[in-house]
Amino acid sequence: MRPKSAFGRAQLGLFGVILAVGAACATPPKPRELEVYDVLRQNNQARLPDISKRSPDLVAEAERRSGAAHDEWQSNDLDECRANALLAQIKLKTAIALYDQDQLKAQIQSLSSQESHAQEELAGLSKDLASEQEKLALLQKYVDARKTAEADKAQAMTEQQKAQAEQEKLSQQLAAEQKIATAQLAMRTADTVEAAQYAKADYTAATDLLAKAQSALKASDFTSAQAAADAAKRSADLAAAAAKPQYEQAEESSQNKARNEALARDAPTIPGVKVRIDPRGDLQRLVIVVPELFTKREPNIAAGHDMVLDGIAGLLKKYPNYPVQVIGYTDNRGRSTELIALSAARAQAVYSALAERGVDTKRLMVSGLGGEEPFTDNRSSAGRAKNNRVEIVFLYH
Amino acid sequence: MTKRKGSWRGAVVALALGTALTGRAFAGEEDDLQRQIDTQKSSVVDLERLDELKAVGDEIALLRSWLDEAWNLRAKHEYDQVRDVLDRALKQEDLIRAKIIVSKLRAQEQRHEAALKDLNNRIARTRKALQDTVDKKKAIERTNS
Repeated sequence: MRPKSAFGRAQLGLFGVILAVGAACATPPKPRELEVYDVLRQNNQARLPDISKRSPDLVAEAERRSGAAHDEWQSNDLDECRANALLAQIKLKTAIALYDQDQLKAQIQSLSSQESHAQEELAGLSKDLASEQEKLALLQKYVDARKTAEADKAQAMTEQQKAQAEQEKLSQQLAAEQKIATAQLAMRTADTVEAAQYAKADYTAATDLLAKAQSALKASDFTSAQAAADAAKRSADLAAAAAKPQYEQAEESSQNKARNEALARDAPTIPGVKVRIDPRGDLQRLVIVVPELFTKREPNIAAGHDMVLDGIAGLLKKYPNYPVQVIGYTDNRGRSTELIALSAARAQAVYSALAERGVDTKRLMVSGLGGEEPFTDNRSSAGRAKNNRVEIVFLYH
Repeated sequence: MTKRKGSWRGAVVALALGTALTGRAFAGEEDDLQRQIDTQKSSVVDLERLDELKAVGDEIALLRSWLDEAWNLRAKHEYDQVRDVLDRALKQEDLIRAKIIVSKLRAQEQRHEAALKDLNNRIARTRKALQDTVDKKKAIERTNS
């Protein structure tokens, strides 16, 4: 683009001269060293008083160099500006470093102090913790021991209960067995009186109940076993009670029969006597005929008959429960009243002889029947002699 | 004329003597500056060894560059500038030593802070464990009272 006139060219030239002069008179750009110093100072503005207090000479030197550097910059003496700015930087940085050293030393001292306190606190806490942990351990140990003891106690109680239950069971079993044994004994007792025969209903009930009790015992149902055994015993007792009179009666009859038979066997063994059984209705009569104890019409026993009297007395003593009649007889010669008196006297004589031989006379009944009930025919003297007799009559049913 | 001749001679001798003396003085100053530069360079090695935490690498590099600059200026016989640079380098050494101490102190401070933090953590844990233990003990006592 070309200027249109000479005036225009002159204007352009003038503008160029003004630019050149302006450029020559303008302040140069701030040297980097000075810029760095300014930034450094700015960044430490807040603590600069403290830094200055710590290193007054260094800070003052830095300030002086900085001021000089700024002046030199303004006067475009850049080399000197840079040199002073660098020295200002070094001085200020050194002052800052020394200040930092002090701060760090103080901080380290403070931290050391805090560490010491913290260590003391930690030691105290650790001690407390150890103490509490020890207490806790002891407490835990105590609790564990207590739990163990309680568990042992519970187990012992359980075992005791189990043992008690077992013992109870055994007691029940023993009681059942004892009651069964008692019932069996009652049954045996009932058997002794032949209750099966004389009290059949009760005896059968007792037998059934006893079987039931034994079955329950086998099934370990001891309560039922005891109840059944008790019932069996009651039934057996009832059966025994019911059967006893009949049994005793039967037994007595049997004994009497045996005794009677024995008596019948023993009586003939007495020398010089004749024995006969002479039943009258329900009454049985064992008659021992003792002939020829008397001579002629004498009421006293003739001598030489001790053996037969001793035999009769022995028989009476051997069989002491029989009521006994001592009956005198005569032959038929004479008046009836005389004969009766004679026969009675003769019976009394035998009674006395027997009493002398220790026979209990309370059971003896004495009578004289004279010539009644002759033993044999009175027509011959031998017959009459036989009819003059005393009969010892054992009475029984 | 003779007198003028003699004065010329004197002047020449004085100039030669002055030149000789000045050269000798220059040679002595150069040696002295070289010794200073060598001494400072060996000091840099010491500083590098001291800087275990590598906290002042940049400052040491700057110092080296200044010593190289001083060396170059010495070679150009710019002795005043060499002295300025060496003076600055000496101050830089002081700064580096101060900063190395700061770095070590800072590391020490960090160790202390870490130790204190660890202690505080342990205190907190111990305190919690203590509280837990006391609570547990109380709970057991309540349960078994």
